Amino acid sequence: MDKLLTVTALRRVIQLTAFVFFVYGAMIFTTFYTGDKLTQSLPALSCAYDMKGGDFCTLIPLQHQMDHRVSSIFTQGEKVLPALMGTLITLGTVAVLILILNKAFCGWLCPLGFFQDVFTMIGTKLGLTQLGSLSREAVNKIRPIKWFIFLFLVLILPLLTGIGFLGHEWGNPYCSICPSRIMTTAMGGDMSQVYISQANWGYFTLSLIADLMFGLMVALALFVRQPFCRICPMLPMQTLFKKIGLLRLVKNGDSHCDSCGNCVKACPMDIYEIQDQAENKNITHADCTLCGRCVEFCPHDGVMNFKYGPITILSSSKESFKKRTKIDKWWKE
Amino acid sequence: MKNGLAALLIASSLWGYGNGVIYWAPHISHGGEHSHSKHGGHGMGETTMLHAMNLEGNSTVTLIKPDLSKEDLNLTDTALTLPKASIGGYYALVLTHRTDNQVDSAIRYLSQQGRPSKISPTKLTALPKTDLEIVPDPLHREHDHYTASKSYHFVLRLHNHALANTTIFLETRDTPVQTVTTDTDGKFTVTLPNDFKNVQIGRSENKPSEFLLTTQYREGDTLYKTALTMPYSLNPNDYWQSQKYGAGAVFIGFLGGLFLYRRSKKTGVPRG
Repeated sequence: MDKLLTVTALRRVIQLTAFVFFVYGAMIFTTFYTGDKLTQSLPALSCAYDMKGGDFCTLIPLQHQMDHRVSSIFTQGEKVLPALMGTLITLGTVAVLILILNKAFCGWLCPLGFFQDVFTMIGTKLGLTQLGSLSREAVNKIRPIKWFIFLFLVLILPLLTGIGFLGHEWGNPYCSICPSRIMTTAMGGDMSQVYISQANWGYFTLSLIADLMFGLMVALALFVRQPFCRICPMLPMQTLFKKIGLLRLVKNGDSHCDSCGNCVKACPMDIYEIQDQAENKNITHADCTLCGRCVEFCPHDGVMNFKYGPITILSSSKESFKKRTKIDKWWKE
Repeated sequence: MKNGLAALLIASSLWGYGNGVIYWAPHISHGGEHSHSKHGGHGMGETTMLHAMNLEGNSTVTLIKPDLSKEDLNLTDTALTLPKASIGGYYALVLTHRTDNQVDSAIRYLSQQGRPSKISPTKLTALPKTDLEIVPDPLHREHDHYTASKSYHFVLRLHNHALANTTIFLETRDTPVQTVTTDTDGKFTVTLPNDFKNVQIGRSENKPSEFLLTTQYREGDTLYKTALTMPYSLNPNDYWQSQKYGAGAVFIGFLGGLFLYRRSKKTGVPRG
């Protein structure tokens, strides 16, 4: 029983609960309209296309606001403040949520993150050789993709659509390729989002990318940790507000940290920067999902810490490192 | 007079169904188009002018708002223009027509934009609105819409109690009447027909159609009749979207991942 008392075990329980709420919430909790009523701006990939879900992600309102409201500044000479009001409310809601949980929305609550974790567990149990950390060069090449997706697919293309430069299919292009749209609806028994559109080249391209990427993500998740998270536009979205997040990863390296690299090996996002020397410094990286694995796998007392405001809620230690390493070996047997 | 002629025109042509039952139909412009916008999202696609079809004589019209407050409205002949919505969310438009031995009612739910209501639409559907009432169970979400080839659940209530073993009639403009019977809990399910004509590629290029659910029940000397009308959209998966090809693309993506797995086995570093 003691084996199960780890941060990862607690995270799995919370992830599963969040998955059930965000994917099936409307059915189970008889709160059919929470998806329309709760936040409508969740900083995690819970999809609005899933009509059984408990809440939906902030990227869909952002795209719609760019397409229908912000664009009116250019097309109808709308005053800036009224045209931006919806976007400001959405961003304000995200800011409040990030203040409370920071990037832990990814590591602890995101349904798509959990879905990928489950496939990685399946891959491990099937005996598939797990790919270790990606090289620093590979990580550096992948990192800008999420910013490109965020800037172009979430903001710029919907805005250009609203202005009239692009066709309607570019009004919410990120949703059109998002694997969470396919996953959350399929998990609710609705396969209608798996399709190839022949409406025009734009729709065709987006639907093809969506389906190929979903299949690729599922296969990659069997042997690579968090394959889609690495390019998820939610990370840049959260990064805009991560400075105000009360929950954060703090490194107090001092002389204890010998840059053994355990933290990097444990990190599912391959953030090499966390092994750099730091003294009482917030090292919550743009890619960090605050999963806590680096804290679990750090062999030094008090070097890696989860802090909520001024309070330390989790700290690395030799004891927990030994325990966690033992569990990891047992799991991979 | 003008509205009366318009209603007559609508009743005798496009919307000539319902077998004499009173029901709500959206206003159709002279070009034959609904007063829906192309965007089908929250509140944006809703019509704001309606006609009470087959109505003769006096009736009462009540608009129940998302906060459950009520406002009595007046018809002009059989036409009704909805007041500007102040609260966002679902509204129920209820028409009641009473004669000595008969009570007719027509209900339509509309989603409008405005300051969000803090009250769940389940309260609106749960609220007794007429004696005999067909209630969506649940009413689809404000960001969703009724879609052809999909199934939806409803419940039939008489004096706010479930009414079992009663025949319900489903009609659309282009599909003959279908019947379904309520179960012991008054519940029933209908699958909306795929009966769109002259389909254009692109969801926004096709106007929504209307479905009509009607039923009647005699209690003592009184005959109760009710109708629920709502818009429904075509299902792109019936036309220009292929789920078969979609599944094929997912499979190809999966194979691509397995190919990368084979490559990674040669070059990858086992996880520490």
